[in-house]
Amino acid sequence: MDLNDDTPVYYSKAEFIETDTGNKVSRRATIAGPQNIILGGKTIIVSQAIIRGDLRRSGAGHTVVISLGRYCLVQEYCVLRPPYKTYRGQFNYYPMKIGNCVHIGANSIVEAASVGDHVQIGKNCVIGKFAIIKDCAKIADGTIIPPNTVVPAMAEFEGSPGRFVRDLPESRSEIVESFTKKYYSRFQMLEPARR
Amino acid sequence: MSAPTVKYHCPCGNADNVRTPPPPHLPSSAYSFHDLHELFFCEECDAVRCNRCVSVEVSGYYCPNCLFEVPSASVRAEKNRCARSCFMCPNCLNTLQLVSSDPPDPGDGRLSIPVGTVGESPFFLYCNHCRWDSTDVNITFEKATGLAAQLQKFEDAAPDTLEFDRLKEYFEPVLRASGATSSAVPSSAANSHHLHSTSITAAASAALARDIPGVSKYNPLGRSTRGKDKSSKKDDVPEYKTRLDVSTAYAAGGEQDVEFMRHLEEDRDVATLEQRWGASWASPVQASELRPLRVPLHSKRSKRCPQCTHILIKPEQKAQTVRYKIKLLAVNYLPNISLSLPHRQTAPPTDRRSLTKSTTGEDDDEANKAMQAGLTYPFHIAIKNPMYDPIQIRLSPQRMHVPQVTSDKEKGRRPPFAISLPTTSFQVAAFADEWGYDDEEDDELDYLDDDDIGHRPKKEREKPKAKTVGVLEKKGNVTVIGGEVVLGKEARGNVKFNMLVKYQYKLPEDQGDSPSKKPVVKDFEFYTVVDLGPVVAKEERRIDDF
Repeated sequence: MDLNDDTPVYYSKAEFIETDTGNKVSRRATIAGPQNIILGGKTIIVSQAIIRGDLRRSGAGHTVVISLGRYCLVQEYCVLRPPYKTYRGQFNYYPMKIGNCVHIGANSIVEAASVGDHVQIGKNCVIGKFAIIKDCAKIADGTIIPPNTVVPAMAEFEGSPGRFVRDLPESRSEIVESFTKKYYSRFQMLEPARR
Repeated sequence: MSAPTVKYHCPCGNADNVRTPPPPHLPSSAYSFHDLHELFFCEECDAVRCNRCVSVEVSGYYCPNCLFEVPSASVRAEKNRCARSCFMCPNCLNTLQLVSSDPPDPGDGRLSIPVGTVGESPFFLYCNHCRWDSTDVNITFEKATGLAAQLQKFEDAAPDTLEFDRLKEYFEPVLRASGATSSAVPSSAANSHHLHSTSITAAASAALARDIPGVSKYNPLGRSTRGKDKSSKKDDVPEYKTRLDVSTAYAAGGEQDVEFMRHLEEDRDVATLEQRWGASWASPVQASELRPLRVPLHSKRSKRCPQCTHILIKPEQKAQTVRYKIKLLAVNYLPNISLSLPHRQTAPPTDRRSLTKSTTGEDDDEANKAMQAGLTYPFHIAIKNPMYDPIQIRLSPQRMHVPQVTSDKEKGRRPPFAISLPTTSFQVAAFADEWGYDDEEDDELDYLDDDDIGHRPKKEREKPKAKTVGVLEKKGNVTVIGGEVVLGKEARGNVKFNMLVKYQYKLPEDQGDSPSKKPVVKDFEFYTVVDLGPVVAKEERRIDDF
């Protein structure tokens, strides 16, 4: 994470849909059950990401399956899938909540129950079912977080199975917030004219 | 790839009255330099503090798994581990999950549906990662709650616990005696909260020094006078009799272990060091005998300035909140310096298929980005002012006084490189809220008072149109200046140099204190180490090109 990196990340106008609240979603991402997904605004979902909003709780009515906060980033080939379990003989999916300023690296699979604010998940990670990741935590690249694991606030987890490796500096929330905001501003449209 | 980096110097490792940082190229110097966001700033001392020099106090304990906040009164009684239901897998150190047994088979071949919310007893612990389960070591639970309490009787009856309790009992009078003397005699230890542990270690090491010849000369407390008088008093400590004899206490010692090793088929049957590390002295050799451990507690810490003991970091009471009551970070006081190398910047992709591919900003062709020996490169330094007052800043690279005298010939012949930076001071505007910038920008460019230094014709042989050294851009609270590095023919390794950053700012006038209209001007300076990245030889580069 380089805070001073100003190099723009370009995307083509044709590929992305921008919503009123500034979400940028690739047309090449698989968004299943969009009516069950909430994006907080200024969230980027790039191509080949898969978000399974169709895996909803059984029963009638409208439910929120996956909610993402503001300034989130879901990288290529990520899979966001709500956790499920059989409780009292009843199979069910449970909602997944992701906070603000959360970046999820490429190829990571997330089945967490909740991911707090300012969390960074590296690439090639597996976040097991019903994992709870608290605010400002960091999951290093290639970490496997087993199901039901709790990652406390301000902790960095690494390895397989993911284990606590260090406490993050007190400035973590500011760093991540400015990094995610900067990333959103760096994520720029490349006009077709410039091609 | 390492981008050019700037690290900030904390003078804590230096002797008093030495302000200059260690030479940048020594590997040991890395310990004196830190990322800006890891540093603290003490307002009282007007100085930078780092994690190495602050004094740390525990402000609260919590279990990292169940997130229960453990009152500090019970932490010791619970042996610093979670006393509720959190256990670590002895095999992979993952946290264990409580699972219930299968419900009784109704006999009709179909899965019966459990009726209760918790499931059937007996319960056991199961690892989601490596599939270890506690029935292997005959641990099952009747109830699904308070697991640690259910295991308590086993833990209390374990020989190591008994031995430890006995040791505590034995040392208690010694401690009380030494506590009385240390409170009477002013201790040499600076921090009072270390007292308790030092008296324990002193007593323990005195006993150790008596029983094992030769240990006394490695006594870590031998340095201080306190350690000395402890060892002179060592005869006051009565002899400690172990509860069990060492040779018999650990049942599976010697012969049995040899027998086990002899029939060993797979190395994973032996418990690894990591698996045994957290256990007591009676950790089994066989991996199959390892027992689950309660999860060790974590702590929230507050930090104080080592000099004036003012609080720099004070977290809020609640364990999982990331807010702080007091948080004095250097980021909010020191200008944020960042570097970029213009020759490294990639042009925007023109007609690449997947444009988002380059999202991570990493680049594959590292060779193209390294600097070549014998050439001159410009670099940009962006300085961001976090304060509400404009600052007048001056940068000066520290000359490398001594060409390093190393036995290593490779390094010895590395000639220095030359850095040119604008020598005059320049201004960085004050930090304002985002909206304030738009109208400021235009006017500001008109009256750049110190812009003239950029116009000086200075080393413009490569690109005559663009100035390389001087103030390049001012935007909001960021000023970008250009510098230049001239690399020697034989330059190798990373271009690293120390840079002194001096700045001045006017303190806002106090209402009553300064009757004269003149505002107070404050000076501050700190050192940084700048790493511009690696240099490759010209020849290597050519090979890379083809």
